[in-house]
Order: sequence, then C-alpha cells, then structure tokens
Amino acid sequence: MIQETQIRINGEKHSFRPGETILDVAGRAGVEIPTLCHDPRLKPAGACRTCLVEVEGQRKLLPACATPATTDMAVVSESERVDRHRKTLLALYATDHPSNREASERGAPDELLDMIENYRAPTDWGAMASVRANRHDDRNPYIHFEPDTCILCARCTRYCDEVEAVSAITLAGRGSETTISTVDGLSLLDTSCEMCGGCIDVCPTGAMGEKMPLTRGDKPERELEKVRSTCNFCGVGCQVDLNVDREADDGAGRIVKVTSPPTGTTTNDGNLCVKGRFAYDFVHHPDRLKVPLVRGADGEFYETSWEDALQKAAAGLQGVSERHGKNGLGFVSSSRCTVEENYLVQKLSRAVFGTNNVHQCAAT
Amino acid sequence: MSDDKRAAIPHGLQEAGGLTDGIARQLSRESGVPEADIYGVGSFFHLLARPSAKIRVCTGLSCVMSGANEVLEAAKKAGLPCEATSCLAGCDLPPAVLRDRRVLPSVSIADVERTGGDWEQLDSSAIAPGEEWRGFVGPERTNPDELALDLLGPDDKSGKSFQRAVELGANGVIEAIESSGLQGRGGAGFPAHIKWRGVQGQSETKRYVVLNADEGEPGTFKDREVMLRRPYLMLEGLAIAAHAIGASEVYLYLRGEFEVPWGIVERAIADVTERGIYGDLQFHMHAGQGAYICGEETALLEALEGKRGMPRLKPPFPVEVGLWGKPTLIHNVETIACVPSIVARGGDWFRELGRAEAGTKLYCISGHVKQPGTYELPLGITLDELLEVAGGVIGKLKAFSPGGASSGFLPASKRDLPLDFKSLGSVGSMLGSSGVVVLNDTVDMKWAALEQLRFFEAESCGQCAPCRIGTRYLREATEDNLDHGAAGGTTARGLAHVADVAWQMNEGSICGLGQAAPLPLTSALQYFPEDFQS
Repeated sequence: MIQETQIRINGEKHSFRPGETILDVAGRAGVEIPTLCHDPRLKPAGACRTCLVEVEGQRKLLPACATPATTDMAVVSESERVDRHRKTLLALYATDHPSNREASERGAPDELLDMIENYRAPTDWGAMASVRANRHDDRNPYIHFEPDTCILCARCTRYCDEVEAVSAITLAGRGSETTISTVDGLSLLDTSCEMCGGCIDVCPTGAMGEKMPLTRGDKPERELEKVRSTCNFCGVGCQVDLNVDREADDGAGRIVKVTSPPTGTTTNDGNLCVKGRFAYDFVHHPDRLKVPLVRGADGEFYETSWEDALQKAAAGLQGVSERHGKNGLGFVSSSRCTVEENYLVQKLSRAVFGTNNVHQCAAT
Repeated sequence: MSDDKRAAIPHGLQEAGGLTDGIARQLSRESGVPEADIYGVGSFFHLLARPSAKIRVCTGLSCVMSGANEVLEAAKKAGLPCEATSCLAGCDLPPAVLRDRRVLPSVSIADVERTGGDWEQLDSSAIAPGEEWRGFVGPERTNPDELALDLLGPDDKSGKSFQRAVELGANGVIEAIESSGLQGRGGAGFPAHIKWRGVQGQSETKRYVVLNADEGEPGTFKDREVMLRRPYLMLEGLAIAAHAIGASEVYLYLRGEFEVPWGIVERAIADVTERGIYGDLQFHMHAGQGAYICGEETALLEALEGKRGMPRLKPPFPVEVGLWGKPTLIHNVETIACVPSIVARGGDWFRELGRAEAGTKLYCISGHVKQPGTYELPLGITLDELLEVAGGVIGKLKAFSPGGASSGFLPASKRDLPLDFKSLGSVGSMLGSSGVVVLNDTVDMKWAALEQLRFFEAESCGQCAPCRIGTRYLREATEDNLDHGAAGGTTARGLAHVADVAWQMNEGSICGLGQAAPLPLTSALQYFPEDFQS
C-alpha cells in the first residue's frame, strides 16, 4: 500500500507520495510555480532559481523542484516575498538576455521572455552584452547554438549526460562567461554527439536550435500547426509532432520541423533520435515514391495500381524460384519494420517460397 | 569508470601542464571519463584554464594598495607571461605574486625587472635565497596556557592528545567539543559539535573527514600560517576527528597556490604514517586548481570528486550526504587545529579563553596597518585592541573589513565592536574568516567596493543566475557602463537598482558567495555615500 501523507500549499491541503517534491505536488494540484531548469527526466539542479518558495520554518527560500515534500510541511508559493523574488530574479535575467523576441527566439518559444511578461518583471535595469563563447565554426548540419540567448540552465548538458549517456556537451568556463561547449570547442561532428537533438528540445529559450529552419527563415514555432504522427524509421513507434507551415509552398503546406511531444505523454517520453528529429526532408522530396511504379518494356517506370504491382512482383519471384530453385531466392527485411512485419517476412520466405534465405538489415 | 578515475582528473590536467588542446581527449581515453566533462573541469579552474600564464599577480585589496597593479604592469612590460589573479592568501606580505604554483611575498617592480623576461627567474628579494618564508605571527608568547593554537610554540609530534582522545572515547571527545563552544572558523561560525554528532549518528558506516585548506577569502592567511608552523597539530586534530566519528580516511584539500605549505604538510603526513601514531588512518592530499568557490564546503566536495567546483543544494548537508555521498565532517584548518588542545585541556578551558564567544581566534590583519600578520587573541576583541598589538593604523582609520571581502566594510565608528560572530552579524556584517583589512582616509570607498566586486565576479562559479548575473551587473552598474538604450530607453542609470539586485542575490543565490557578494557595495553605499557622489 502506498502511504499517503499531506502537505499544505498556500493553506490548501494536498496529499503526496514519498519521493515527490514540492513541485510535483504543486503540479498535480494546479498550483503554478515557474521553472526554467526543470525537466522531469533529469535530477533537479535548482540552478535557475525561478521555483523558489517559502517553506515554514526555513530561513531561506527553497527550490520547489529539489525539495522533497514532507509531512505537515507548509509551503507558500504566492506571497510578497516570493513575488519580489520572481520579479527581481527575472529582471536580472532580462539584463543578460536579448529583449527582442524575434531575434532571441529563432523559431523556438522563449520561456524566459514569456515568464518576464507573465510576472510583469521590470525590463528597464539596463543591458549587458553577452560574454559567452560559442563553439568555433561548427559545421554540423543540424544543431545551432546561440550563446547570447543561453541562460545556463544546463538542461541540455544534463540531458546529454543523464538521459542520452552521451556527454558530448558540458558547462565550460565559469562565472558570467560560463557557456555550453564541447571538448576544446570542437564541432559536434568531432565529438561523441549522436545528433539526437535532445539539447534543442529541452532548451527553454531557443539558444539551442535547429539549423535547417534557421537557414530557411521559417515562422516561429507558435505559428506552426503541430500534427501528431508516428516516426517510421524503426519499429519503436516514437510519437513525433510534425510542425506544419500551412501557408508554405503556395498553400500546399510544408513540414518545417519535427518536435517531440512533451515528456510524460507518449512512450518515447519526449526523446527522439537523429532520424526522427531531423530526417523529414524526404516527405517533400520530388523523388519520393507515392504510388507503385512498374518498369515497362522500354525500361521506364510507369504508374500502376497496387493490385497490378503486387501481381507483377509475385510473378517475378515465382519465376526466379522456378528457374533457379527455391534457394535462388533470398529475403532481406528492413530495420524500419516492426517485429510483426519482420515475422511476416520470414513467414513469406519460409512458408510461401520455401527458403531459409531470410535476413534483416539490423541483424548484423 | 571509477570514482577514483574522475577524482584524479584535476591532477591529471595539472601534470599535463593545464588545459591544452587535445589533452582532455587524451585523458578521456586513459580514464574513461567523458572528454567534455574533462574539458568542463579544466576550463573551470584558473590554474588549469590558461596554461600559458605562469606569473599571476594578486589583485586583492591589500595587495593593490601595496602596488600590485604597478607590479603587474611592470611584468607585462618585461614580457612575462602574466595575468591578474584573485587573493593569494599573502595579504600580510603584499603584493603577493604566484610563480607557477608558488606564492612569492612582497614582490617589487625591481624583482620583476631583474628577471630579464624569464618568468622562472622571478623571485622576491624580501626573502633570502633558498629560504622558506613565513608571515609575522603575534602577539608575543607570554602565556602559552592561554593559547589554543600557539603558533609560536613547538609543534608537538608525539600524538599525546590523540592518545587522550582514545581514552575519552568518541562520546567523551564530542562532549569536550560541545562544552568548548568551538565554532567553525572558516566563516560560518557553526557549532562544531553539531556536525560531529551529525556524522556520528548516520546509519552509513563509511564516513570521511575532509580538511578545508582552500584559504581564499581576501584578507585571510591564517590557515597558511597554521600549516607552515603547526602541521602536526593540524594532523592530530584530523586524527582525533576521524577517531570520534568513525572515519578511516581523511582528505586534505589545499589550494593549489599553497606549494610551500603542501610540502610541509606532506612531510608531516609521511612522518606520522611511518610512525603509525594514528593507527591505520589514511591521509589523502588533493590540490585545488584555482577557485575561491571551492572554499565553500560542497563546492570543495565536488572538486575533490574531480568535478567543476559548483556548490550543491543544501539540504542535504555533508554530514548526511558528503564526499561520494557518504557522511562527511568538513572543517577549516584553524577549527581542526583547535581540537587537540580542547581534548588535552578540556572544553571549559577553551571556552574561557574567549569573551562572549569561546576560544582564542587567529585574526589576520592587513592593509593600512604597521605590522600586518596573524594574531592569536581572545575571540571577541575589538578592532582597537587588534590594532594595538599590530602596531596601529598607518594614517587615519576610515574603514575596515572585519572578515574578508564577504563581510563588506564598516566605518571607523564601529572600531569598538567585538570582533565575533554574533556582534558583527548584528550589524549586517560577519566575522567570516576574520581577515581584517584596514583602510585609511586615502581610500575612496567606491574604488574599494569596485575592487571587491571584481573579485566576486571573477570567482562566481556561474551555476545560479542571481550570482552569475548579479556579480557582473553590480560591477557594471558601479562603473556605470550598462547599456540603457537597448532595454526600453530607461533613464535610471548607475546604482538605481542596487538594492533590488542585492536583495535578489541574497535571497536567490545557492551559496554564500552570491549571498555575500553585494555587501562590499551596499555597505560602502550605506556608510560612505559621499564617496559615490561624483
């Protein structure tokens, strides 16, 4: 039996399970506590300081993301002190962050600017020029880093380490010059990076972003329509959100980026791999096969019906079998197939064509 | 990859001559530690991050007031590979200069010019060739029975206080510590016995004792003197602590600039280990790599584990989750050096040595004072009493920092305040590490505040936003070079938002660095507003 106990948030009682943090309980209770460095997949860092709340009996404000709920704890998330904290903290962030939304977002939503607006934080404390260094001359095709917009929440470095176990990027330098870097500032291509793009996905400000939409100058993400789909690059079935610009290509519409659904909502838990996140250009490629093609007597391909195409394929296979024997045939299935599909391919090979020459491309 | 391999990374980078191109990858192949992590560590620490700098001139307040900037200019002119650096714990012999990893006291422009551009030739003419240097220690040793540390006394190598601790047993020792009223002397003044009992009461049986010898608070150099003069006393304190809390391993974290104390402590460890006077207790030495923040206990633990020295969130505290997650007792050098005499003479004896608070205290004094040095005096003396034994002020007293940069500035009118944890805390300052810096009326307090702000900006670890952004903001606001055009055309310039920024840094920062960093500016504004009207 799970032991249930209670804490109070702003005077209201809420039950919690052992191991839950103040933020977990507040989230379930619909109490808004702002966060920037939090991600449920990561160990709490408590570094962005936006989630600090008052806890009765504690002199200092405590980070809701990292403070475990305990029995009879009394938490205050709305008070003059917490409000002053949020306003002054966000005002400080604003002095070290581009105020121009278009420039700072570069396509992705900027949670910091949203938060500064929501909490009506002052934005007139003056501005400091960014002193954060970038990787030198990174020729990788996918991942862009904009140090001016980075707030050092370290979601990307912790994600790369704790979720992907790749550790290609790190916090580097220190103090106000702290930045996100690779070893020796090398291109991501020359590191252990697998280009999963998780750093882009977890970034709250768009400092980590896709190179492709940037170079195309597409619309900001909030103006795109998200269409939920299933990645077809392998059998795992990761859910993806195709971000569609309906007005592009003269109203024909175009997928301009792929994002992962929020963590905790689908089986892939917000994670994607390089193929799922970046390999979507094929969708609009002129060479993409959309209907079956069969080669005519002149050697050219001609469109045909599925029924006809399948019959021609079956006849071809049977012809080989008759001319060269059963083992004249071999079947290779794709790593893009599910396990069920792979099963059917070996069934086709063994039961229909009577050969054990069956393989799958990921089996070697 | 084991914890040990990661822990060895800073040393590996040091051996390789710092973070040069390709070294992180090479160490990664050898250790299995991810190469980006190694790069992150190397780029964090001053002594590793810029391997080409061989000469580092201290730009702490006491050193700058003694011509450090001129020495730095001369070094640049002489073509030495040099840069400015934060406090080198040599404020009593300014200006202090670091040659590779060795602190040279009282370096003059002539010393710099004599090198002929060869940094390895730099030496201080203030010390005889080949001699190890020490600072001045006072007052005169009239009654050793009233001194807990007795820096001028003989360094007892017998280990007899440890024997006494064994007779008393763990609880007896902790009771003595409790009755002594010993407070942590690193800065926080936390009652020592609470930590000891905290570790003792853990269910986990693997525990550690860690020595914090990362002395870096500007104005402070007492731990250096303890290690130079009483290394055996310090080791005995560590052995007693380890015995009391049930630890079999002690880690000593010395700042990397302490090359001379390192050698002395290393020899003492070899001696006590060979003689076996502390049983099979193991001492491990770890060199810091240039980061003031690692004096913060949890940042120190991170550095010991071979990571970037970024403070952890507390709670949990190290007594519960410390080095490699095990219960850990961390003490400053001076605190641990008080332990043997407490065990030998009893807690009441120690308590009676102080005034409102317990024990004697090593006060460091530097700046505009006739005899800078380390003075062991009853805890709770006033600035005037300290000045009296230190020969008095040079010129007319204007202001003083009672406990390093973190304690801000107090005006001359507070000279009769007891220099103890409670009294100084009550006026919004702190005793901190009791690094007293004296400023006379030639000093512009806006300038002095700016020097301290530069220090905190250079030493902020960068982990949390209030400190990372706030330290830089306050420096830029004081210099009045913020861009007020870009952010909506504000008219409020300069120091208009200091109160809010300081409030935020104090409320929002993870550790004491960010919480204390605004204090030099806010206290200077409070007590010396006229120095800001220009």
